[in-house]
Amino acid sequence: MLALDTIRGVRIVADPAGIESIVVAVGDVVLRLAPDDVFVLIDGPLESVDVDAIIVEESGFVGCWLTPAEVEARLVPHIEWPLPANRPVLAQGLIAGVPAKLWLATDRALLLCARPYAHDLAERLR
Amino acid sequence: MTGTGRIVVDGQPIDYEPGDSIALAVLRAGQHPARGGTLCLAGDCGNCVAQVDGTAWIRTCQTACRPGTLVQRHPALGAPPLQPVAQPDVTRPPAARSVAVRRIAVDLVVIGAGDSGRAAAASARTAGRDVLVLDASDDAEVVAIYGGPAVIVRSSTGMLHVHAHEIVVATGAAELQPVCPGNRLAGLLTARAAERLHAAGVDLGVAVAVGTPPSGVPCTNLAGRLVRFEGVDRVSAVVMAGGAGEAGDEAGGAAAGEAVVEVTTPCQTVILGLGRAPRDLLARMSADLPVRVVGPAAESFALPPAPTAGIVCPCAGVGVDDLEGVWERGFQELELVKRASLAGTGTCQGSVCLPHVRAWVAARTGTVPEPFTARPASRQITLAEAAADVHLDAFKRTPLHDEHLALGGQLDRFAGWWRPWTYGDHVAEYWAVREAVSIGDVSTLGKLIVSGPDVVEFLERLYPNRVADLRPGRSRYALLLNERGHLIDDGMIVREAETRFVLTFTSGGAANAEMWVRDWIETWGLRVHVLDRTMSLAAINVTGPLAAELLARAGLDAPLRFLDHHHADVAGVPCHVMRLSFTGEASFELHHPVDRSVELWRSLLDLGHDLGIRPHGLRALFGLRLEKGHVIVGMDSELDSTPHRLGMDWAVRMDKPEFVGRSALARTALLPDQRRLVGLTMPGPAPTEGSPIWSDGTIVGHVSSSFSSPLLGQAVMLGWQKRAPFPDEVTIDDRTAIVTAPPFYDPEGLRARA
Repeated sequence: MLALDTIRGVRIVADPAGIESIVVAVGDVVLRLAPDDVFVLIDGPLESVDVDAIIVEESGFVGCWLTPAEVEARLVPHIEWPLPANRPVLAQGLIAGVPAKLWLATDRALLLCARPYAHDLAERLR
Repeated sequence: MTGTGRIVVDGQPIDYEPGDSIALAVLRAGQHPARGGTLCLAGDCGNCVAQVDGTAWIRTCQTACRPGTLVQRHPALGAPPLQPVAQPDVTRPPAARSVAVRRIAVDLVVIGAGDSGRAAAASARTAGRDVLVLDASDDAEVVAIYGGPAVIVRSSTGMLHVHAHEIVVATGAAELQPVCPGNRLAGLLTARAAERLHAAGVDLGVAVAVGTPPSGVPCTNLAGRLVRFEGVDRVSAVVMAGGAGEAGDEAGGAAAGEAVVEVTTPCQTVILGLGRAPRDLLARMSADLPVRVVGPAAESFALPPAPTAGIVCPCAGVGVDDLEGVWERGFQELELVKRASLAGTGTCQGSVCLPHVRAWVAARTGTVPEPFTARPASRQITLAEAAADVHLDAFKRTPLHDEHLALGGQLDRFAGWWRPWTYGDHVAEYWAVREAVSIGDVSTLGKLIVSGPDVVEFLERLYPNRVADLRPGRSRYALLLNERGHLIDDGMIVREAETRFVLTFTSGGAANAEMWVRDWIETWGLRVHVLDRTMSLAAINVTGPLAAELLARAGLDAPLRFLDHHHADVAGVPCHVMRLSFTGEASFELHHPVDRSVELWRSLLDLGHDLGIRPHGLRALFGLRLEKGHVIVGMDSELDSTPHRLGMDWAVRMDKPEFVGRSALARTALLPDQRRLVGLTMPGPAPTEGSPIWSDGTIVGHVSSSFSSPLLGQAVMLGWQKRAPFPDEVTIDDRTAIVTAPPFYDPEGLRARA
């Protein structure tokens, strides 16, 4: 059974310019959930030029890091949609029937879902 | 290829030869794989289906023999028998085991590896396309095509789901079967089936051919029009008419009114070469999908003569007389004939009967109708195959799920969430709220942050009450209406700053509310950001006359007035504290990070131990709010409930120039009052929710919520009256109930504001 732990970070909803203005360090994982919504996996404050941006600490996601081989073996059999080919990339859709996100890099991947779905996702990916 | 061996058919062993299908082995033994009916041995018809190794509706002509295979035929009609209910595995059939699923994505799927399929595949490959060819003979039987498009394939190793950009159906053509009296007898074969049996060394006995004769099969070719088959169980003679000495007059039944000379020919097997029809079952379930049909499957073969007697649809047992019956009742289109007679609704979905039914309809209308549609699956598949890797909707869990279970909570599914219904004694939970302090898990409430320079204008347009005059630090209850003025949700507007608000919604309506908010922002082109925090923030409602004392113990010293809110640490957990009330008592909603919820919950229980604290579930909560007359959207409201009908005009400011639903409310305000939600009380236990409300012997409405109030000692209810004039006294459960304006408890709201 996959152990899904809290994935902490900072969530920012802002206009596109406000999103683009966010300064992160090299190597920080930045998940663009929507054109106006980004989740940055860092432990610290972030700022945006958009004065009305919504910036909050986010602890509502759980997830786990996987190797590409683990993605192939444990996730792909439960994914009905084709995985995107480019890397890094954020894919969002149903995994084992649960709304989930999958960030794919060349050497690793991050499986994410909202915490209320954690139990079902872990159970189904046994 | 299997070797020799024996299968068991209806308890009797039957030998088989290498390569035999079950149907072939049974025919080799001189029997029929079902009980009767023309055999095609190509998988087109349902005349050879039987139960094989516990799985029903198996086409035995497509199923290879294996040693010890258990075959059961239906005792009467060739349909498989029902599972005896006494079998211990009736709720868990053998096929309930997990079925593996593989998924692949290709550019083009070609279904059928015949000449046209191979040609289509070769052409596509030459063009550089990624092609997958699927054919049942290669252990890849296509059973369905769905939108996407997705092709569902059954194989011996499990299911294959293929996602493709385009599909080519190259399934060829099927042979026509006869429709005339006696066509359910054994001993009837299509020409190709006869050729296969002859090649396999099966003795056909005295064989005659009707129509185009088979190739290389010893038989006597009969001339004329097919009239009927004769025999008991198995054909013993065929009767032809009107063509003595002439072979090749394609058969299908005598023309009405024709003077015929009938010729009876004794035989043991009748071989039928009556023509062909497109094998288009998969094509017929693919309307509006990128599906191309090629080869014989796309040809317009000549229809057979319109049948005049006999079984047309052997799968559903529909005869010509049945077609006439539905026609006389007014079902005079092909799709209607299908639905009314059930012709074409059996296992082959019209592969056998469709040409005949089309011909029959065409004879009456003068127009050949388009083929009727088919639906997945094209073959009977087991529930395990259909459900392979299909998941039920996931039900969300709050972070306190395990805490509820540890406290004896009885959880059930409400609005997409697992929620505690009660912790075992809902009356004790009720009294804890009314007399002491209680906590409830309200993490499921919808929570949106909205922010931006246009946010006030947006909220003023969205909600029917005032927003601009709401000061930061204050909150207000609000209805959410659609353009027709009907209630779709409710919740709180919580102002955090000049350009930032938190909006709350009901647990069941949160997802729709978010879409509603986003849609209107986009429609109006306003500069408003939205962040849904429903699943990121948990919430605990601390309620009861001792709630403030409990929170003071938890470090919340600053007093909050009713409808105030602020951010503060509670028991060391950062919370957005909102003072409001759904229970009728002083209540504080603590919105906090979802990963700190267990810590906060346990702290509150510890700190309130000597205050009589206990958690409450939904059962107590529903009663508590009902005493206050608070509606639950979707439970007390209906799809067309306006604020006026709900008695909530106070929540609407018609003096605002515009808001969603205003025009409709202005118009409906001028109409006669046809229905209203009212409060009701009566002595004794609460009636079942949904109970009819009677007046003068007529049902005038129903109870939407009911509760036996421990405090008031009577049943309190909300219910709909749907007939004007609205009586003040009604009958529910044969008892007199009085229409009473809610709230039933603390009508001045003093306790909530205390």
